Amino acid sequence: MSKLRGKVAIVGIGEVPTGRFPEKAAIYHAMESAKLAIKDAGINKDHIDFVMPTAALYSPQFNTELVTCRVAEELGLKNAKTNCQIFAGGSSGSCFLKLGGSIIETGVADYVLCVHADRLGTGVTAQGGIDLFSTAGISAEWEVPFGQHYSTIAALTTTRYQYETGCTDEQMAAVCVSNRKWAELNPNARFRKPLTIEEVMESKMLSTPLRAKQSNMLFDGGSAFILTSAERARDITDRPVYLLGEGSRVTHFVFSQEPDITRFGWRDAAKDAFGEAGLTPKDIDVAEIYDSYPVYQVIGMEELGFCERGEAGELHMRGDTWPGGKLPTTTNGGMLSQGHTGAGGGVALLVEAARQLMGKAGERQVPGARFAVETGTGGTYMDAQVSILGTEIP
Amino acid sequence: MDTPKKPAPIVNDWARPFWEAARDNRLILQQCVDCGKHIFYPRIACPHCFSDNVEWVPASGKGTVYSYTVVETNAPSAFMNDVPYVVAVVKLDEGVQMLSNIVGCDPAEVRCDMPVEVTFEKLDDEFTLPKFRPS
Repeated sequence: MSKLRGKVAIVGIGEVPTGRFPEKAAIYHAMESAKLAIKDAGINKDHIDFVMPTAALYSPQFNTELVTCRVAEELGLKNAKTNCQIFAGGSSGSCFLKLGGSIIETGVADYVLCVHADRLGTGVTAQGGIDLFSTAGISAEWEVPFGQHYSTIAALTTTRYQYETGCTDEQMAAVCVSNRKWAELNPNARFRKPLTIEEVMESKMLSTPLRAKQSNMLFDGGSAFILTSAERARDITDRPVYLLGEGSRVTHFVFSQEPDITRFGWRDAAKDAFGEAGLTPKDIDVAEIYDSYPVYQVIGMEELGFCERGEAGELHMRGDTWPGGKLPTTTNGGMLSQGHTGAGGGVALLVEAARQLMGKAGERQVPGARFAVETGTGGTYMDAQVSILGTEIP
Repeated sequence: MDTPKKPAPIVNDWARPFWEAARDNRLILQQCVDCGKHIFYPRIACPHCFSDNVEWVPASGKGTVYSYTVVETNAPSAFMNDVPYVVAVVKLDEGVQMLSNIVGCDPAEVRCDMPVEVTFEKLDDEFTLPKFRPS
């Protein structure tokens, strides 16, 4: 268990719309997101002493620019002392929090700018995206030769999960419908038209039982946030978003080596996170659950303890997870509806958790949200990362 | 569009005996001499007890389907002409899991926990892949 409980806080967030923007350079998404986060925090840009970009996948050239201080120079951050990339795939956002938080708590830095940008919507072709994600993070010796890719991985999880729990195809489709209801209220989301269970069930079959509308799509986008100490945060804002607890587990590299592809490491990770925060799932007002495919949102909610195993599908069917429901879940629309931007899918969920707690979520604001949970996982669901955030320290 | 060549395994030195045996249509696994556990995929030391005392042993080639999927569309370029094909995680009787394809049956007949046995499919002169069929 970490010693970060209540010691660090998010004080500013920024995000650009997710979509296809052929006229926009990738660095724009990073700079604009960072600029918005700095302005949102209301701090002088030159207070930032640590720039922490995560990685971009679409281009090694652009990624190298993130590594070699382009964000600091473009924004003119005069007191930047370190620029260091933190990358853990889809759990990069969660890692930003614990690593950025640690260097603040130990005094290495005062203000950390965490930023993501990528261009997977216009920087690679559709088939190029499929091919990229049939090799990236997939074992070149043990899985690539058998035609494994991210759709088959999600399908393998879904098949076994439905076999063990009896969760139906309709319940799985309901996750997409629920997330879309939130995206309808999110101006930064790529998909904002209402979606029905029937439309999901009639969409093209990719890898059984996974259909096209149950698959995330890759887009351009960016998001950013500013971390500082709890003490400084209280001077800057009336509503700091404190890190209250975090827990995590690494479970595999090669997907087929995961001992339980219907659970992963979420239960233990959540136990640590809730334990550190001194909270239980009942205290949570908003849940931002990693949703690259619907089955992962379902498993995440069950393993975190929001319901019994096998029940999360029904929660999405009956509206508990929708706007106005008992457990608002994945309130930006998630990767399924806001769109997947690579490492940014998880960063966007974290930014959304902070946005809800800051009371800045506009039409989709969960009234009076005090405590939020955010989850992230990278690669082929190689790790389970759970962060708990709140506007007060319980 | 031309279909690219199928990706061959990028082999780590310590796994070479596995691929040499597969070329002879034999499935072998590592086993730890000290703790007795079977190991897959091949490692430089036992991932259970960290012993360096690891040897190659024949595998039964029998197991069950832990999970499966039939790829119908949006396959990686090299596999476009193979659809529908079955990707599965197979649990071997020795307790280890491996990714493979289920062949020798209608893809629609594959089920979780179905018993399967190894069969071999030649990829090229250098590589033969262990695959599984209903047993």
